[in-house]
Amino acid sequence: MSRYLTGMKARIIGAFLVAALLHLIGTVLIPGYSAPFAIRALLVIAALLAVASVGQTLVVILGGIDLSIPFIIGFANVTAAQLYGQGWHFGLVCLVVFGLAILIGALNGALSRGLNIHPLIVTLGIGMIVQGLVLIWTKGFPTGSAPKAVSSFVSIGGSFGPLPVPALIPALLVMTLLIVLVLERTPWGRRLYALGANPGAAPYALINPLWVWTSTFAASAFFAALAGILLLGFTGSAYGDVGQPYLFQTIAAVVVGGAALVGGRGSYIGTLAGVLVLTEINTLLIGLNFSPASVQAAFGAIILLLVSLYGRERHFRTTV
Amino acid sequence: MADLSATGLMLRPGARAFSATIGAGEILGLAGLDGHGQDAFLRSLTGLEKSGGEVALNGQRIGSFRDAERARIVYVPRDRRATGIFPGLSILDNFAIATAGRDRRGPLISPAARRARYEIWRERLQIRAPSPEAPITALSGGNQQKVLLARALAREPEVLLLNDPTRGVDVATRHLLYDLFRDLAGEGMVLVILSSEIEEILALCHRVLVFRDHGLAAELSGEAMQTDQVIAAMFGRAG
Amino acid sequence: MRVLGRYTFAIAILVVLLVANLVMNPARFHPAAWGTLLGMAAPLIGAALASTPVILAGRGGIDISVGPVMALVSAVVIKVLYLDHGLSSPLILWPAALLIGALIGAFNGFMAVIVRVQPIVATLGTYLILGGLTLTILPAPVGPAPDWLKAMAGGWSFLPLGVIGLLWWGLSRTPFHDQLMAVGSDDRAAYTAGVPVSLVRFLAYVITGMLAAAAGMMLTALIGSADPKVGANYTLIAIAAVALGGVSLAGGKGGLLGAAIGAFDIFLLQSLLTAFNVSTYVLQVAYGAILVTAVVLIAFQDRGTKRSHA
Repeated sequence: MSRYLTGMKARIIGAFLVAALLHLIGTVLIPGYSAPFAIRALLVIAALLAVASVGQTLVVILGGIDLSIPFIIGFANVTAAQLYGQGWHFGLVCLVVFGLAILIGALNGALSRGLNIHPLIVTLGIGMIVQGLVLIWTKGFPTGSAPKAVSSFVSIGGSFGPLPVPALIPALLVMTLLIVLVLERTPWGRRLYALGANPGAAPYALINPLWVWTSTFAASAFFAALAGILLLGFTGSAYGDVGQPYLFQTIAAVVVGGAALVGGRGSYIGTLAGVLVLTEINTLLIGLNFSPASVQAAFGAIILLLVSLYGRERHFRTTV
Repeated sequence: MADLSATGLMLRPGARAFSATIGAGEILGLAGLDGHGQDAFLRSLTGLEKSGGEVALNGQRIGSFRDAERARIVYVPRDRRATGIFPGLSILDNFAIATAGRDRRGPLISPAARRARYEIWRERLQIRAPSPEAPITALSGGNQQKVLLARALAREPEVLLLNDPTRGVDVATRHLLYDLFRDLAGEGMVLVILSSEIEEILALCHRVLVFRDHGLAAELSGEAMQTDQVIAAMFGRAG
Repeated sequence: MRVLGRYTFAIAILVVLLVANLVMNPARFHPAAWGTLLGMAAPLIGAALASTPVILAGRGGIDISVGPVMALVSAVVIKVLYLDHGLSSPLILWPAALLIGALIGAFNGFMAVIVRVQPIVATLGTYLILGGLTLTILPAPVGPAPDWLKAMAGGWSFLPLGVIGLLWWGLSRTPFHDQLMAVGSDDRAAYTAGVPVSLVRFLAYVITGMLAAAAGMMLTALIGSADPKVGANYTLIAIAAVALGGVSLAGGKGGLLGAAIGAFDIFLLQSLLTAFNVSTYVLQVAYGAILVTAVVLIAFQDRGTKRSHA
């Protein structure tokens, strides 16, 4: 194995170790931190963030960023509830929600790459439009709920066969395997990394940047919509701002997991490690009875600490 | 047999139009002072540069990069770092990226198939690498260039367009590449090589086009292919 | 002329919106009310100005802690200095605010330039820390602000923005401005040309921090009190204003004037739609639509100029 790969792997293992360490600290300091129910809650919350972070991982590998994720989450959350509440078949609801999300995401990618506009601005603008339209449609008061099946799929108290966890957790593992296979073992996945690593060389290597950007942002929106529907099952009722905490958390998870925002680096396993770290920090600080304000501040400080330890960019001089 | 022709090319508005034909098995050299059109000519042959006039391979018009891709006209750019390698990706990835679909067994890339395909070129080009999984940046400039050539050759080109292929490459590797180019031409491939070194062109090419002011200043072959003749044409002193 | 070119779109919107506002809302846009009007636009303009220097400095430079800095400055100045310690003089409060901004800017600059954490992540960390800190200092809104500060949202609203404009104008005559633009467009070339790239970038963060503090003061002046929740909202909308004003997020292109016009556009849009009595939902769609349209048009314009130069 090359030194580079070991470096990347070391980062991911490091992040997992940090998560384990945080869990250990929690177990020592807080009674009941490792109780079965607490662990299940932690896993479910982490899994929801993990689903929301898939898209950010893909987009960051590409060298972009997707600020529309929270807005798409809110859009899917509200739209699914509203349509299902109006008596639509849930399969049809999913088809419509995912279809629209994919179109929105594709637009994000196509505009950013096709016109060479920073994706930060495009995804922010498109996200604002989407959220505004949803608000106009529901007049700010979305109604409806998720089908029972979705609720029990993500329920903390749920179980999957003999496993004492809801089906969400094994499903996430399967999804992770699929994502890793797509990234590591398909031409699309390899082109994603290549385009992120050196956009200038991509066209000569028969990579179509416009297509890769469009499909990647579409995938990002798809996973955001999935997270929105799962969150609907989790909270029980629709809420347009349910995605807002995920804006920065997805970015933080990806970066703590070792991806570089300049593109070409990152992995979904790393993001999972980042997700665990963030969820542990949050749970730990809340468990220690920190006020929400202090939790937020400590969260920021820890992200900075972790990223300065191993998320550093190369000096621009070395890129000459 | 391949036959690449450029008719009435105008490399820049107002420049002198010219035509050129390259036959199978031929190695054509392009020379000129930097920025005098040889680069634009080479890129025109790939459909990357829209010049007036027409490029065709065996009578098929090449109007875009996509046409060139279909016709298996393969272009290897000059700047390895900016437009060649994918830093951070492995040697295997860098080799296979343009032909990734060929290693697919079902929906997934077969590492074994990819490895086997790489091994053929590793041997032929004598790529010296610690391991195919090592990052491309771990290689010397010469070996990086070999990987990029392997990437291009894996596409089984009819026409291979090389933009200064020996830039920053050590002497031993250069001679290896010269032999390779001669072999490829012997197999019937069309090679067009832009080089900033006249000696290289004289040693390697059957014919040389010398560019000046975005026009064709001279076409030299056989006895006329001499350093002073090429230089004279480059500086616009030839008749 | 080419600099003006980048502003074309922002200025066009400005003219249209200004006329529309004058027709729809003559009282609010009467010259006698211009002070108050500018005071209302000032926090957003300030936030947009603040976001600009780091973006100009390039290589992914961005500061998403601008909003939280505004909130923190407001909290410290009103709650800690004015209400708790009775310090009311502008000669104390303004320098204190700017010092806070400069220190936070220096921290951001340290993280982004010296430690080399990606700017968006570095300032995200600061965003969270400052948000928490502000809520700890000031769990709920308090007031009032000193009278002189409130006046800065009325008749005196020209003062802080005018001073910023003058200082930036002065700065643009110094080598620093050229260096900033050079670093933003091509840091490697700037480095080889002997520009102290890291120092220039670091200073850009400090300037951004100080401008954010000034924006915080303008926000405090406008709401006449300190509110821990209002500031953070300005971050993304300010960056949108910057893009609208023709500043390239890739760095090296644009300036404070464009950012200010972009911010004023958004303010005018807000004001117009409020006059039409549309819901905030429509307002949000309009923000997004204007932003996307603007960047798309600017992109087309850039392509046009590129072609005509090639």
